[in-house]
Amino acid sequence: MTAPAQDFHTRVEKALRDPQLKIALERTTGNARRKRAAAVAAWPDFEAARAAACAIKDHAIEHMATYLEMFENNARASGAQVHWARDAGEASRIVIDLCKASGAKVVTRSKSMLGEEIGLPHALAEAGLRRVETDLAEHIIQLAGETPSHIIWPAAHRTREDVAKLFDQYHHEKPEGHDVVSMVASARKELRADFFTAEVGISGANFLVAETGAICTITNEGNAELTTTPPRVHIVTAGIEKIVASTEHALQLTRLLVRSATGADLTQYTTFHCGPKRAGDRDGPEEFHIVLVDHGRTRMLAEMPEMLRCLRCGACLNHCVVYRAIGGHAYGGAYPGPMGSVLTPVFDGLEQSRDLPAACTLNGQCKQVCPVDIPLPTLLRHWRARSFRAGHEPKAVSLAITIWAFFAARPRLYRMAQAAALPALRLFAKGGWISSLPLGSGWTATRDFPKPPRQSFLAAIRKGATR
Amino acid sequence: MSAREKIFAAIRKARPERATPAEIGAQAQACSEAMKRTLPALDQDDLAALFTARASSEKVGASVERVATLADLPPAVARYVASNNLAPDFALQPDPRLKNLAWGELSPGAPLRADSALAVGIALCGVAETGSLVFHSSPEAPTLYDFLPLHHLVALDAKSLVLRLENYAAFAQRLAIPRNVNLVTGASGTTDIEGVLARGAHGPGRLHIVIFD
Repeated sequence: MTAPAQDFHTRVEKALRDPQLKIALERTTGNARRKRAAAVAAWPDFEAARAAACAIKDHAIEHMATYLEMFENNARASGAQVHWARDAGEASRIVIDLCKASGAKVVTRSKSMLGEEIGLPHALAEAGLRRVETDLAEHIIQLAGETPSHIIWPAAHRTREDVAKLFDQYHHEKPEGHDVVSMVASARKELRADFFTAEVGISGANFLVAETGAICTITNEGNAELTTTPPRVHIVTAGIEKIVASTEHALQLTRLLVRSATGADLTQYTTFHCGPKRAGDRDGPEEFHIVLVDHGRTRMLAEMPEMLRCLRCGACLNHCVVYRAIGGHAYGGAYPGPMGSVLTPVFDGLEQSRDLPAACTLNGQCKQVCPVDIPLPTLLRHWRARSFRAGHEPKAVSLAITIWAFFAARPRLYRMAQAAALPALRLFAKGGWISSLPLGSGWTATRDFPKPPRQSFLAAIRKGATR
Repeated sequence: MSAREKIFAAIRKARPERATPAEIGAQAQACSEAMKRTLPALDQDDLAALFTARASSEKVGASVERVATLADLPPAVARYVASNNLAPDFALQPDPRLKNLAWGELSPGAPLRADSALAVGIALCGVAETGSLVFHSSPEAPTLYDFLPLHHLVALDAKSLVLRLENYAAFAQRLAIPRNVNLVTGASGTTDIEGVLARGAHGPGRLHIVIFD
């Protein structure tokens, strides 16, 4: 379970009433959109590159068993220990058992969305281990006692003013100033010692490379390498869909992943990890474990294989009008935004999370910016249709859809009903907008409805009108 | 059935493997080639100039200088130390090519620490497309030299430069697979507060590259 079952609407209302949240989200996602647009503009054939990236991922998915077996053999040959987990609970248990076997008291972690997906922070706390989040954003939300609200910027909901308050309160040495640079320096100082006291370092993986048995991490702070190199044990948790054929494919995908995420050409650190410390090495972990997690992915292989392409770049979040209004926490799951609304029903079941695919305008921006061209709107519609057929929708919604379907299947009747409704709707408008509607207060409570035109589009065409 | 067997059974049920290894290899190759055809053209004539432009761009934020030979590294380090008000003792990556240089007034014998001010190293190669340095870990190239110091000064052989990431991947295929491959593209940084870039997160805050012929 990654999302609490109920109360999506309560969380949305809370988010919409929080003006600070809107400022924080717009600062982070606005920066991300601008930088991505500039990076994409510098690659004239970006559309063809998206298709090529899609083909690279589809190739790995098509031959998933072959490549996973190759990866496992090569990883074992490098001295890595490979573990397999069918679900979140099994994956967490494997990690906790490895920590316990190593006698660890302190565990450092570099940001991993899969870790969030399988509930690792909670499992580590239950096992009595001190968890040190070393990514700056994860450090911020650990201090705040929160969960990530964005898959690239977990603290996207926090303004720099919020961060200053947290660091002043919790850091052993207060930051020298409240500008971003001083606060980053303060986090560096605060976390330095923990990198060397931890017995276990846990990371995720952006790619599993079949031809070498290496795992690849793509980061920018340097905390990942300081998490995975000094401790005696390095544990990697990764979804099986991270498999790619070769180092070349991994690097080719990285080009699109990074441009889509932060707008850079490469992040500062693209690192491949292959096995434990070797003879003569002065650093590196003595044990290297890779936990490969299914958790619904083999079901997706049959039901929505396109979603297994996802590189977790976050571009669909940054460009989503819904995400930008409500932020990540409102979604409730480990993954928010469009990609999260597709994934959470896989992990938590559709009945629990049917509100998420419904909270989408289907404007299609997410698909347009997706570096691997995932048809997110189609997948969201797939969940909506499934939810309706399975009878998960509330009675009123089901009834409304049934009535609408009756008219929609009878075009003449539909047009007559529409012709009758349009003038009536216009009576509620003031200055081009309708701010309250009978039976439609759910819509108009937080936004206005545009005043409809006098006649429908089709009617206007028939009459040959230009407006 | 073990978790492993169950997972493989589920994958094979959804995606039975019908292709031969040779066919799969050919498909993988075709995928790479298709991607290469989309890449923007790059000026291949002077890789060092291309690398320098990328590495010193605002996005990457490294500083780059060019010297005649590796023997000119110690004076370059001395200049860097002086202009940044650093102490003359620093941690030297235990690469025999570096150890054998005439360091003069400088003291390259400092141990690498969690708070080292300066480490001097040498890259395996560089990628001109992205301005990236590549390190393969080994007894002569411990990983932490790239991550612990506040200032990282790296010597880069101009002859080791490759044009694109694909060229590095082809080069790496001919080498033994190291424990760590580190592609380092600029000094450490973070955009975690409001998406604004700040340098010097947990890794080096400054990256200075000395290209030699």
